[in-house]
Amino acid sequence: MLHLLKIEWMKVKNYGTFWVLSILYIVSVFGANYIGYLFYTSAPKNDPMSKAIIGTPFNFPDVWQMVSYISSFLMFMPGLLLIISFTNEYSFKTHRQNIIDGLSRKEFIGVKILLTFIVAFVATVAVFLTALLFGLYESTTAFSLEKVEYIGCFFIQVLSYCSVALLFSLLFKRSGIAIGVYFLYTLILENMIAGFLNRYADNIGRYLPLETTDNLIRPPVFKVIINQLGVPSYNTTALLIMSAIYLALYYFISFRKFQSDDL
Amino acid sequence: MDLSTSVAQPVATNDSILTLNGISKFYGRVHALNNVSFSVPKGSVFGILGPNGSGKTTMLGIVMDVLKPTSGSFEFFGKPATSDLRKDIGTLLETPNFYHYLSAEKNLAIAAEIKGKSKDDIQAVLEKVNLAERKTSKFSTFSLGMKQRLAIASALLGNPAVLVLDEPTNGLDPVGIAEIRELIIRLAGEGKTIIMASHLLDEVEKVCTHVAIMKKGNLLTAGSVDEVLVNEDIVEISATDLDKLAVVLQSLNGYTNIKRYNNYIQAFYKSGSANLEAINLHCFQNNIVLNHLQLKKKSLEAKFFELTNN
Repeated sequence: MLHLLKIEWMKVKNYGTFWVLSILYIVSVFGANYIGYLFYTSAPKNDPMSKAIIGTPFNFPDVWQMVSYISSFLMFMPGLLLIISFTNEYSFKTHRQNIIDGLSRKEFIGVKILLTFIVAFVATVAVFLTALLFGLYESTTAFSLEKVEYIGCFFIQVLSYCSVALLFSLLFKRSGIAIGVYFLYTLILENMIAGFLNRYADNIGRYLPLETTDNLIRPPVFKVIINQLGVPSYNTTALLIMSAIYLALYYFISFRKFQSDDL
Repeated sequence: MDLSTSVAQPVATNDSILTLNGISKFYGRVHALNNVSFSVPKGSVFGILGPNGSGKTTMLGIVMDVLKPTSGSFEFFGKPATSDLRKDIGTLLETPNFYHYLSAEKNLAIAAEIKGKSKDDIQAVLEKVNLAERKTSKFSTFSLGMKQRLAIASALLGNPAVLVLDEPTNGLDPVGIAEIRELIIRLAGEGKTIIMASHLLDEVEKVCTHVAIMKKGNLLTAGSVDEVLVNEDIVEISATDLDKLAVVLQSLNGYTNIKRYNNYIQAFYKSGSANLEAINLHCFQNNIVLNHLQLKKKSLEAKFFELTNN
């Protein structure tokens, strides 16, 4: 296992694109939350009306949910990083060379699946630290781990995007088409289908693959307004079960495809 | 020629490095490989010859597990192939495949790590292919010939006993081609088994001990170079008076055919039965002095065209 991770590390260590994008992503996680924080602090503090609508999202414990929610708008980035590094193997044909040199197909795809976990984990750590930072900076309330489960939801969500990225890389092989389909599907197409199904098919759109994990983290602000809009309620347990099923499916298809394809 | 008798039967003995048993590969309706069986003996330099698209690379891709055969099986060292066995085989398949953004050295470090070979080998193999000076340059800056050399260097990592080289001189300049040929001869001299696919007949003829000839996915013949290439002796004979020579040669014994050309005559014999001294003596006794007498083996090129044209 360490041997396989070492090989992946050797591949990525000197890959400039990967590091530039990774660092910009982490900076952007902080940046996106800072933008949210600026909006929040520009609202009149002592007005009871705005207080009721907005609440105190950057205080413990709401900060865990707020930062997870804002950060989820950058969800496509970790997946993009993975698509770039996976499709590189195809364009350099190094996926063949690795097998020729003595990796088994199982090892090759296995370590790629492991990478989706590692990237998802690192992104989650960045979000955790950002939330901690804002929570401590606001410090009108004491540090609390209440609602920290939203960080766990963020992990499941980012893992789901990373696995879809792996699957799309394996299906399309070329970076251009994989990235194009990934962006259009995650940002527009699935939301469109979900919206359609939600309207005409009894809200089942919320159980579409990425919608499922998107709905794990709902906005902590404007609750009063949202509740009045009659947005369907979400059953967190059902969403978690569906997430697990989808993840298992992504990995199973990826694994099977790489095992049986001509490379 | 009866092809079936000359195709080596795949018998997986302790001495065979690679054995193919009825490998077929279809791409849709295209038969890329059609029931190919042969066996590569230990210590041989085994040339796989065939025109473009004859299935050479497909076949090597299958034994390296990057392509899946439609049917058939293969064995390395008499055992079913595993990824661990591939670690001890140095392979260059089709094109040099490396990470463009990494240096020559770092690319070889990855290959060494996968193969479980020591990194100390890297400098030595780069020197063998004359790339040591450019080891810190990125792969993307290399010329086609340099990329090919790097791929050969990678195949040499860990000093494997078996090498699989697909068009090893692709993209090399004449000096490079000669160097690689020398390298292959030297490696073969060390007792290594070398499986080499090529469409360059000259190259195969110069270095191979065994040869398999393929066309459109079919194996036409396989065996030792002597068996495959030499099935008759051709003697070239010439004298000042060709007409008189032709008459005199008629009375010779043992030939199978005589052909007259503009400035020499060819006499054909069964393999190993031509006796140059007897021919010389016969002509001299009939008052003909020869100015040219040479035994020729049928060239691989002639054989190749003969096999692939029918």
